[in-house]
This record gives sequence, structure tokens and C-alpha cells, in this order.
Amino acid sequence: MGRYVIRRLLQMIPVFFGTTLLIFLMVNVMGDPIAGLCGDRQCDPATAAQLRSEFGLDKPVWQQYLTYMGNVFTGDFGTAFNGQKVTELMGTAFPITIRLTIVAVVFEVVIGISLGVVTGLRRGRPVDTTVLILTLIVIAVPTFVTGLLLQLLLGVKWGIIKPSVSADPTFDELLVPGLVLASVSLAYVTRLTRTSIAENARADYVRTAVAKGLPRRRVVVRHLLRNSLIPVVTFIGTDVGALMGGAIVTERIFNIHGVGYQLYQGILRQNSQTVVGFVTILVLVFLAANLIVDLLYAVLDPRIRYA
Amino acid sequence: MLLEVRDLYVEFHTREGVAKAVNGVNYSVAEGETLAVLGESGSGKSVTAQAVMGILDMPPGKIAGGEILFKDQDLLKLRPDERRKIRGQEMAMIFQDALSSLNPVLTVGEQLGEMFVVHRGMSRKDAKAKAVELMDRVRIPAAKERVNQYPHQFSGGMRQRIMIAMAMALEPSLIIADEPTTALDVTVQAQVMDLLAELQRELNMGLILITHDLGVVADVADKIAVMYAGRIVETAPVHEIYKAPAHPYTKGLLQSIPRLDQKGRELYAIKGLPPNLTRIPPGCAFNPRCPMARGVCRSDVPPLYEVDQQRRSACHFWKETLDAR
Amino acid sequence: MPEPQTPDEAISQGGAGAPTDLAMEEGTSLEKNPGGPDGTGPAGKPRSLWSDAWRDLRRNPVFIISSLVILFLVIISIWPSLIASGDPLQADLADAQKGSEPGHPFGFDPQGRDVYTRVVYGTRTSVTVGVCATLGVALLGSVLGGLAGFFGGWWDAILSRLTDVFFGIPVVLGGLVFLSVVTSSTVWPVVGFIVLLGWPQIARIARGSVITAKQNDYVQAARALGASNSRMMLRHITPNAIAPVIVVATIALGTYISLEATLSFLGVGLKDPAVSWGIDISAAANYIRNAPHMLLWPAGALAVTVLAFIMLGDAVRDALDPKLR
Repeated sequence: MGRYVIRRLLQMIPVFFGTTLLIFLMVNVMGDPIAGLCGDRQCDPATAAQLRSEFGLDKPVWQQYLTYMGNVFTGDFGTAFNGQKVTELMGTAFPITIRLTIVAVVFEVVIGISLGVVTGLRRGRPVDTTVLILTLIVIAVPTFVTGLLLQLLLGVKWGIIKPSVSADPTFDELLVPGLVLASVSLAYVTRLTRTSIAENARADYVRTAVAKGLPRRRVVVRHLLRNSLIPVVTFIGTDVGALMGGAIVTERIFNIHGVGYQLYQGILRQNSQTVVGFVTILVLVFLAANLIVDLLYAVLDPRIRYA
Repeated sequence: MLLEVRDLYVEFHTREGVAKAVNGVNYSVAEGETLAVLGESGSGKSVTAQAVMGILDMPPGKIAGGEILFKDQDLLKLRPDERRKIRGQEMAMIFQDALSSLNPVLTVGEQLGEMFVVHRGMSRKDAKAKAVELMDRVRIPAAKERVNQYPHQFSGGMRQRIMIAMAMALEPSLIIADEPTTALDVTVQAQVMDLLAELQRELNMGLILITHDLGVVADVADKIAVMYAGRIVETAPVHEIYKAPAHPYTKGLLQSIPRLDQKGRELYAIKGLPPNLTRIPPGCAFNPRCPMARGVCRSDVPPLYEVDQQRRSACHFWKETLDAR
Repeated sequence: MPEPQTPDEAISQGGAGAPTDLAMEEGTSLEKNPGGPDGTGPAGKPRSLWSDAWRDLRRNPVFIISSLVILFLVIISIWPSLIASGDPLQADLADAQKGSEPGHPFGFDPQGRDVYTRVVYGTRTSVTVGVCATLGVALLGSVLGGLAGFFGGWWDAILSRLTDVFFGIPVVLGGLVFLSVVTSSTVWPVVGFIVLLGWPQIARIARGSVITAKQNDYVQAARALGASNSRMMLRHITPNAIAPVIVVATIALGTYISLEATLSFLGVGLKDPAVSWGIDISAAANYIRNAPHMLLWPAGALAVTVLAFIMLGDAVRDALDPKLR
């Protein structure tokens, strides 16, 4: 187990540097990082040159990347467009996005798995067909349309929620945005659970459990569900990283000042340090989530052993 | 009589049509008696057993007629929860592939103990002690340590022993073993079979042994029922059938066993394939493959003729078959 | 790379991957399993995977409806003037945000352009992006992934890490960064971006199915008989590995259309004066309170288009993977 973790961590190193380098290059290609620093005015050439050497922007890109990464490892993520430390921005943005992600994951687990179990046990019945079509529609309608529609209906038309949330939103303010963020994954979790349940329901060990005279409830919960949830849990685990990185659209629609919002601002203002800093953390979260999922896999399925 | 299956019909409604898997099967088992049900795959031997256990997948399966009398009670008339209580306590089943039939994510101790937790209301701790006891009884070494292991950590033979232990757990009066040794190495087959027979004697249980392996049958069975296309084509006490089969299909099966004293001769095989159960041929279902088939075989379904008091054969020409050995 | 299956491979081959791979959720096993219980399925009648799948598809209403919708979308994206006579760019601010009126069934957008005409012309953009990006992704992904699966070794190891790198980048975020410099109003930067970030998904699937196909007995046999690499790939592996790629690509086509709209909504995908549903939805979002029709029509068209492709992919997947019925 320990050796496996070490091997995985070693495998992560190139992925981590590859991803951050890719983003770093993209951000550098994308435009002049200085342009945003002088506010909306054009910088005068002298100031620009001074800023350039101050930030080391006159050096080759790979050197800039190394310098930047060096700083990151000492905890210095640089300065955002408004003069704030990027770490400060992170300090306010990440708790909000984490809250949003938690809401989304809870929706995935509670609604997604329940619907999946219900439909998986009733394949071909009207409930199953209805839910299946609904999931396809949810997958087909892009998140930003779902978000705008829910905002229009719940926020504007019926006044159930406020169309946008406060600066430091609480969990209940994030319920609808969380549902929007979760929507597509929710549909996938439902379908995945349904398939997994239906597939396992035909397994020999379920037949054994029935032959043992166990009550149906016990057959389903203890034998069927336990096995069927293995792929679902791994999907939700990997989805955590994707949700945090994918919150840009949702945060923009509901005006939530989380990670996605800061990234969007950073890109608009061409502030490379904000963008690369946030992406670095997101990549780390993504990699960590994947590792945890792999380890969880072994806990859930005793047949998997790590070499 | 412990179990009597009377005129049982089972069909499966598939996209290709209605597959008639069991077409009027009769058989019975007494306490302490072993009935071997013989047949190729698709002959309906497993489906009949599943109908007796009440674990048929319905739909697509459907019991289209008949009675299953267990201790003089028709199981088909019971409520689902009454039926459930009989499973595991009164009758139990051993499946062919122990690896896939045991739950991969639960320890064998949990799976054995579950019988006592559910049917006897025992605490989990007591149930685990019982599980160790059972594993000892089926002679699994170091049971106390191995009770916490998962099925994949056992060898094939050991896993089948665990299946047997699970079936024996509540000392049922009937055991159905569906090809219990087919998936095992030849060297282990005999050990497992012996264990099963020994426990059966000890507990005086009825045993239905489903198999396609005539070699296994000879040692342990009291009587044999041969099935073909969902019907019983011959029943007889075990030794008589070996001496003189009264149905061409049984004869074909016996001839296709390789024998040491016939070394060098070409091995016999029944020509053709078992019929498609959605389109069973008219008359005797075996007629397209039968070397003795005549006109009447293609038009009239043969009844189960009484050969003698203990023997029946569903062949119009059972006498010729019996004499032509 | 002859290493034991580690869980990350088990996951990436077994199902839970990127949220876009709808098809992988049910595995990619394409084995035919005709049998009912106890072999009650039809004997004989061997059919190829493809003719069998086609037979299923022709009877599937989901397939028929989604194909008809897609056919319609393709026709109007080639000849939009068939059903819309106006000019999607013609604007009259006096009409801005007006609702439906004769000759303008969907009303006008914030700049006074006819929403109906724009919705019709937007089809071309979406279909072009979807088809071109899918072709690019499928080609690049299956070639790279297929080679990695076939040859293994270093090439495979590097490709696996490379796919990891691309999977680590959230798609929308990558789009924002990559496309925010682009000023072109054509579809090609978006297509290029989707190919750049989309190929690893297909590569993983192609790799997995090539490895599976490679392990088939008949492929091993062909190798033992001395078949050359290129012959093996063309004759034996490609036909078997291509089905999952087709399924995933069809579903991905829908998600790519959705992705283009999302990027355009965020202001980095297509840019004015391009006609795109995403741009129109984005422009309408600010007026959602007073003139929701400006948002609902393009959003509806987008949803129907994406749904059609996803349902088509779903139907194809069901037909090619009959394991679950």
C-alpha cells in the first residue's frame, strides 16, 4: 500500500508540472501581463519596462516558469491585478467554492444515487423510462442554460431565491447554484448507478443471497448496493476536482465570488499570476482527489490489491 | 415424500418468442435420498431447480402450470414472505461457480454468519462463532483465521466447501446442488462430492444433484432422472440405467463417456444440437437426433411409458432400446 | 507494459472517467450474449455485431426520431435559406427586444435582429463545430490511443501521462485561457481548442479497446501464425476496437456543441458578427427579466440539437452493447 502511494505520487509529479506549464504557456501567449497593471490606461513605455524587469518578464518563458514555481513552493503566489496578494484572494474564494462543491456533491449523492437505485431496480418500467429521459435532457441542456432558467423562474418570476448571492454566501444561499453545478453530474450519477445496479442484480451472488432466504431489503442494501456503488463512488470522487474547476459558469450566473469568478476576472484582466496560481491549486485538488479515489477503490473492493 | 414436483411448466418470454424451458416435469425426493437430474445445458434441469427454490427471474420467467409439493404443501401457493422463510431454513442450494456465487466484498464469515443473523436472530458475534464452526465442519483448515478472509482468497475447492457450509448452516431437509463440482479441478471434485454425500447422510437430507457428468452420478445417486428439452425422458434407479438404458438419448449419453477398455475406438457423440426451446420439434423432441426415429416419433409426443415399477421411459420404442444393447 | 492492473487503469477502463464519457458508464464490452437462463436463447443463427446492431436500431424509436432531427438540422445548416428568408445580421434598433409578430414568429433580439432567422442560421455554426471537432478528436484520439494500445511500452507510458495532463485541465477554464487571445470570428479556433483538449478521451477508449481486442484468442492465433503488425491492426483489431470509439464520439458531438455555446456565452468562443446560439443566449441573459423569449428560443434550439446527438449516441451504444437489456 505504502509503495503504491509513493509510486502514484511520483507519477503525479510530471502531470503536475505538465499541466501547470501548459497553463503558464497559454497565459503567457494570451497577452501582455503588464497591460492590466496600469488600470484601464495604456502603460507608458518606461513604467512598462520597469514593471517588466521587476516581474522578470524580460527573461525566457521557461525561466519565468521556474522562478514562479520556486515562489509557489515558498508560498508566494504573486500579486493580483488589484494589488492584493493572490493568496489573499484564494483565502476568500476557495471557502466559497468549497461550500458550493459540497452542496453539489450532496445533491449528487442523495438525489443521484436514490434515483439510480429506484430506476435500476425497475428497469423498463414507466419510472425508469421517465427518469432516463429526464437525465438525457439534463445532460443535453448546457449548464449555463439550466442556470439562467432556474434563475429566471425561481429568482425573478416566483421570487423563491435571490437571483444572486451575497459576498460570503451561506449554504442555504448556495442550494440552487449547487444544484445547477451538480446537474449534469447528477444525471451521470443516476445513469451510472442505474446501470451498475441493473448489471449487479443479475449477478450470481445476488441469486445466492435470494436463495439464502434473506429479506429483499437486505439483499438490496447489503449485497446489491454495496457492490454497485463502487464505480459510483469513484466517479463522484473524481468529479470533485472537476466541479471546483467547472464552477466558472455557475459562479458567473449567480454572481458568486468564488474561484471561478476570480479566475474569470484574472483572465479578463490578463493577470497571469492569479490565473496560474488558482489553476495550480485546482490541479493539485484534482490530483489529490484522484489519488484518494484510487485508495478508496481498494477499501471498497477487497479484490483490488496494490503492488 | 419430502419433495414432489408435479407436472411443472416453466416458460421464458424473450424477444425471440416464448421459450418453453420446462414442459411437464414430475419428480420426487424422499428424506435421505439422492436424485440425480441429468441433461445437457438447456434441458431445463437448472430451471426446474430454480423454480423449486423460488429464485427464478420473473419476468422473463413464468411458471405456467403444475405444483411443487414440499412436505405436502404447495410452494407455489405460498405468499412471498412464507416462501422466503423456507429458503435457507428448509431447503438450500449450492451453485456451480462458487467464486461468482459468493459476494466478493463481504468476508466469508459475514456471509456464513448472515444465515444465523437473519433466520435465527443471533448477534453478529455469535453468528461469527457459528461460521467458524461450520468452516471446521466442512474441513477448512485454520477456520478461525480464515473466517475474516474474502472469497477470492480461497482456492476453488475451499470456496465450494464454503458454499456447502452455507447451504448446511441451518440444517435444511432438502439440498439442491446445481453442478457443484463442474467448475473444480478433477482432483478436488471427488473430495467435494464425498463431503457433500457425507453431510447428507449425517443430516438425513434429501439431495437433488444436477449434473451433466454421468461419472459423478454413479457413486452417490439413488435414482436418476434424465431430462431433454424440458421433459424427463427416463427415470430409473441408478444401477439399472447403467446396465440397460431404456431411452436412446440416455444410451447416447452413456456411450459418449470415454472408457479405458475401449481405447483406440472412436468416441461416440450424439449427432446434432439440442433444440431451440422457442421451436421444439413436434412429436418426440429428440427425434431429429435419434438413430431410431420413425414416423410416429415425428408426430406423437411419447408419454412416460412404465418400463417396470421403478422405471419410466419417454420413448415409443423403449422395448427395442432396452433389448438392443 | 506488462504491469498488473492497478486501480487507475481499472477505473479508466471500467467506467468512471471524465464526466463527458456517457458511453463508458456501461463499459465497452461488446460480447454477444444471446442466451436466456440455462441456454434458452436461439441456437445457431450467427450474426455479425454490425448487422445485429443495425437490425436493433431500425426498430428503436429513439434512434429514428433523433436521426430525423439530425437530418433536418444538417439540411438547414447547409441550406438555411430553405426555411428562413431573412438576413441574420440585419438589425433595426427600433425593433429591439420586441416580442413575436407576424413574419417574425420568435420576435427580435436586443439589437433588433430577427430571432427566428438567427436561430436557423445558428444551426450551421453548431453543426459545423460539432462535426469538425468530433472528426478531429476521433481521428487524433484513435490513432494515438490505438498505437499506444497496440505497441505498449514507452509510447504508451508517455501517452498515458500526457492524457493525464490534459485531463487535469478543466475544459471551460482551458477554453477561457486559450481562446481569450483569439480575435477571429470563425469557428476554427474553437474547433482547434476542442480537438486539443478532447483527444485524450477518445485516446483512452481506443487504447483500452485495442488492448482488449489484442487479447482475443483469434488475434493471438493470428499473431502466432505470423500475421504482420499492419495486417493484424487492419483486419483483426480495428473492426473490433472501432465500435466504442464511434459510440463515444457520437455522444461527444453533442457535448462539443454544448461546449461551443458555453464558451460563446462566456465571451471567448465565437464572437460577433458570427451567428451562434451561445452568443445570442449571452446577449439575452441581461434582459431575461423583460424579454425572456430572446433567451428561450436559441436555448431551446441548442437543447434539442444536443439532445438529438446524445440520444443517437445512446441508441447506438445500446445496439452495440447488448449486454444490458
